[in-house]
Amino acid sequence: MKKLLDRIRGVERDVIQAPGDSDAPFYLSQGNEEEVFRAAYSKRLPVMLKGPTGCGKTRFLEYAAHTLGRPLVTVSCHEDLTSSDLVGRFLLEGEQTVWQDGPLTRAVKEGAICYLDEIVEARTDTTVVIHPLTDHRRQLPLDKKSQIIDAHEDFMLVISYNPGYQTVLKDLKPSTKQRFVAMTFEYPSEDTERRIVAKESGGMDGALLEQLVAAGRRARTLKDHGLEEATSTRALVYAGQLISAGLDPVEACRAAMVDPVTDDPELVEALMEIINSHLGGAAAAG
Amino acid sequence: MTPEPMTEDARTLVDIEEILQHLEAVSFVAHRDALAAKPAVEPLGPVAVRDWLEAVRTLFFHDREAGKAFLHNTPSALQGCDALQPWLQQALDFTRWVGSYKAVEGFMEQVGEVCRAWGEAGEREWYRLGIQWCERDLESGVAYFSVSFRALGGDDGCAGLQALMAPAETLYQERRLPLRMYLDGALRVRDVVGGAGVTAWARRGADILQAGRSRGEAYFRLESDESLSVLMEAVPGYRTLPHGRLFQLLLAAWFGQPYPMEGLLWRPGDGRPMIETDGRSLFVPPVFTDREEALLAVLHGAGHLKFGTYERAALEGLFAQAGMAHPPVDADQRITWRPLFARYGDDMFRFQLLFDMCEDLRVDAGIGRQVPGYLRRLLRLAEAYPMPDEPAATYYRLALESLRGAVDPTVLGPGLQPLLASEATVVDAFRIANGLFDGLALPAIGIEARAAAYLPARGFNAARPVYPRDDEADPHSALSRPEQDSVLKKTDQKREDRKVPKDAQGDPDFDIPPEDTSGTGGRVGVGIPQPAHVSAYGIQRPVSREGRPYPEWDYREQRYLTDWAWVQEQSLAERSPEQAMEILARNANALKRLRRALQMQRPTRPAPLRRQPEGDELDIEATVQYVTEKRAGRAPRPWVYKRRREQQRDTAVLLLADLSTSIMAEARNGEGKVVDRLRAGLMLFADALQAVGDPYAICGFASKYHDNVYFYPLKGFREPFTPDVRAALAAVSGRLASRMGAAIRHAVTRFDGVSASRRLLLILSDGRPADYDDGGDERYLHEDTRMAMKEAQDAGVHPFCVTLDSAGSEYLPSIFGPGHFMVLDNVDDLPARLPEIYLRLRR
Repeated sequence: MKKLLDRIRGVERDVIQAPGDSDAPFYLSQGNEEEVFRAAYSKRLPVMLKGPTGCGKTRFLEYAAHTLGRPLVTVSCHEDLTSSDLVGRFLLEGEQTVWQDGPLTRAVKEGAICYLDEIVEARTDTTVVIHPLTDHRRQLPLDKKSQIIDAHEDFMLVISYNPGYQTVLKDLKPSTKQRFVAMTFEYPSEDTERRIVAKESGGMDGALLEQLVAAGRRARTLKDHGLEEATSTRALVYAGQLISAGLDPVEACRAAMVDPVTDDPELVEALMEIINSHLGGAAAAG
Repeated sequence: MTPEPMTEDARTLVDIEEILQHLEAVSFVAHRDALAAKPAVEPLGPVAVRDWLEAVRTLFFHDREAGKAFLHNTPSALQGCDALQPWLQQALDFTRWVGSYKAVEGFMEQVGEVCRAWGEAGEREWYRLGIQWCERDLESGVAYFSVSFRALGGDDGCAGLQALMAPAETLYQERRLPLRMYLDGALRVRDVVGGAGVTAWARRGADILQAGRSRGEAYFRLESDESLSVLMEAVPGYRTLPHGRLFQLLLAAWFGQPYPMEGLLWRPGDGRPMIETDGRSLFVPPVFTDREEALLAVLHGAGHLKFGTYERAALEGLFAQAGMAHPPVDADQRITWRPLFARYGDDMFRFQLLFDMCEDLRVDAGIGRQVPGYLRRLLRLAEAYPMPDEPAATYYRLALESLRGAVDPTVLGPGLQPLLASEATVVDAFRIANGLFDGLALPAIGIEARAAAYLPARGFNAARPVYPRDDEADPHSALSRPEQDSVLKKTDQKREDRKVPKDAQGDPDFDIPPEDTSGTGGRVGVGIPQPAHVSAYGIQRPVSREGRPYPEWDYREQRYLTDWAWVQEQSLAERSPEQAMEILARNANALKRLRRALQMQRPTRPAPLRRQPEGDELDIEATVQYVTEKRAGRAPRPWVYKRRREQQRDTAVLLLADLSTSIMAEARNGEGKVVDRLRAGLMLFADALQAVGDPYAICGFASKYHDNVYFYPLKGFREPFTPDVRAALAAVSGRLASRMGAAIRHAVTRFDGVSASRRLLLILSDGRPADYDDGGDERYLHEDTRMAMKEAQDAGVHPFCVTLDSAGSEYLPSIFGPGHFMVLDNVDDLPARLPEIYLRLRR
């Protein structure tokens, strides 16, 4: 029954995702990240996940939360995120003003893992809200209600952070960063990446899979030459999915790996050369 | 009995004999050749023979070679013209000048053919034009007669000849340009753009000739960009110059490093375009047949550099095999090839072709292991190419077979198999080539035909003298391996003796006597990699204490040197309003785009937004109204929130430009100098910031020793952006060295009094921080700059470095940190990218 309900989409669900009976999200270890996270969780230490976009941070957290059996609250941070969005606000219902808890408050109360994704995007006056939660006090002040909430003993805070040059001016303050245990993620090894793409794309295999992953890894070397973000594992997965759906491999790569990341015609040409070498006719011929 | 009076005929015969005896007395060759040629003339009668022999004698006395040419070509001339005239008289005409034998040779070799092809009238015209040039300038006449008449006529015979010569006539009358300077170029031009094109080309050249003699002459010799551009526009094919960056990106992706690329002078008529190298840079011709050939040629050329064709130890091994202890080097320390091939004598080209083929096979196999599909593409290209004529075809086929063997090793001959192994070196290729040379019976081949024997995308491997490559990074070369991540390793290498290069004359830095400069010279950067004379460490000199002192970090002693760097603020006197207008005009498009993008960045209204559908707080007024209206029975909209205004994070930025001498050098990828791009960048930046409205300042710096760090405030934070400031920006120029640490520290102080929540220090550089007195230790100023960077951050100023040095990613991460710098590969991008970078940072 539960699984049937899971499959019905478009239904409203609570912001706190309780771990269900469904299968764990697919995740392949890169290193010792599971151990580190487990250890941090056992002491409820706040954790920072660092790494480029599309390398598995969010997926890892879903997987870890599922494995640990804890509910997960995800908040995608952006520049207009206010502290009210995190903590809560007064709403008008009927003729009364009613306080509604924000996702952070709910996580704090119910003992869920709260995940602030791309926290650097939020303004510093918003991020200071989390400071009292990240030290020994583990408290969340609700200024508008003049209250303080002591966190549930199972509450844990996780943030993600993409160190790119966009963070030069917006960087987290050192005093904030210091409060976290950090785990660095990178793009997986070639073998791991192949398995990931094979699984996520629904059964790509053989020579084509190898060529696709090789092309993506080669394209990554152009990161310093004008690409702001290197080809992510996610992009490879998209390409794999497109290929599984029947699209020509070279076109799939163009759509998933090239066009989203750059408009520079020379870079596009260089990337397409690389992709064609790996996946184009000459290579496909054997 | 009285002897009969001699008849005319008899007298003639006597004369003939007399001349023959005279010739015999004078020259054995003359006599012998005359006797050999005489039978051809005899059918015309004894008078003709006599006249002919008189001409022979005259010519022989004038010049031996002329005489010989006359004799050798008599039969063909007779055959073509069916008579002795007009060519006999014409040949004699050449005796007017000394040293005209080459012209006579050219004339005599062709005259028969000309008669036959163009008739007598055509031949006279041909002769007339040529002799006219002999009168004016003998060398031009020689040039004229040395070229095949068919080439001169082109497709239109005699009319074509006249059309070709007409502009030359005008050029001589108006500008005194001799034919010899015009002819070769005109022929090439006509080949490419046709007869009408020649006239236009010549007219343009005439104007240029008036403007400047040497410029004009270079134009006609097809050595100047102007004349070449006319030609190149008409040549079909794939242009390489606009795609330089694409090539660099591909080399970076496939081989892990870009290689410097420069242009190669190639003109239509020069044969198939090929890439050359001097062991450091690749020289790329301006056009290839198509994109595929261009890409494969670039990969192949880089493959030679990557896989050790010019590696020092290997070259020494090669020359050792040829019996020389050390490879011979020229004045620039480049290895010259000739001695290696000299021992093959006349068979030199044959061996070179085999050697190149073997080495190309080895390199292509290596590339094939890196780049999937490369070998197949190469093979496809080679098979699609039209087969050349013999004897080149034999070699072409041989190379094609070897390439097929690289794609499918089962069909490769056993002799060549070792070249496919990854451990094979150029020495193996040499050895195997020698085996083939001795073993295979291949036709001889000459210098004109050999180019056609190469497969497309390949070229002469020994086209130029080469700098031998070392395994460790060459301290002089701009390309260092990316594995060298730490500056630390560089300081462990031995400092070689560096000489002051000759072409540094006129550099203002050279009034510093060499003994005073104990360092890298400061002249490191994108422009000229010019090392200075490294003498002893830290020579004492009188220190001037002007300006404001700052500490400097000495990483070796792990402490600050107090009051070490003295910063003096100076204003730049040069202004150039005309330059400013020109720069604005040239970059008008970029500016327009920028302005449009900036409209969206303006901060919006100051007051909080009320009556919002959502927000942080309740708008009391709106809430009360809402409740009231509800009570009154209406259904009001629940827009009762108050939103704080769109917070534009206010940022103040100081743009600090490195104005050291290296920016005065030519830009690598384009025309003009680096400083031109810099000026445009500064001006566009200023314009962009005026539109955005953030407080900004622009400063420059340059240094000469630790006590003279010059800081040039071009525009202060509170200063308005006046036309005078603009004129100053347009007139900046480079001088001296870059002591970046001190400049950063001083720049931080300029933020005092600026109220902005964020402060950005944008540093524009073109090379490493360096100065004359850093003791030759690059790391010294790197570490000091890093310290200055940290101090800036502690003071609340965020530094970010934009560099034009494509090798920047080697040293900048350790100075500024990853993510706090950006490399601009293409200096032409600077004017447009600089404001873009700022806007992205401030968001």
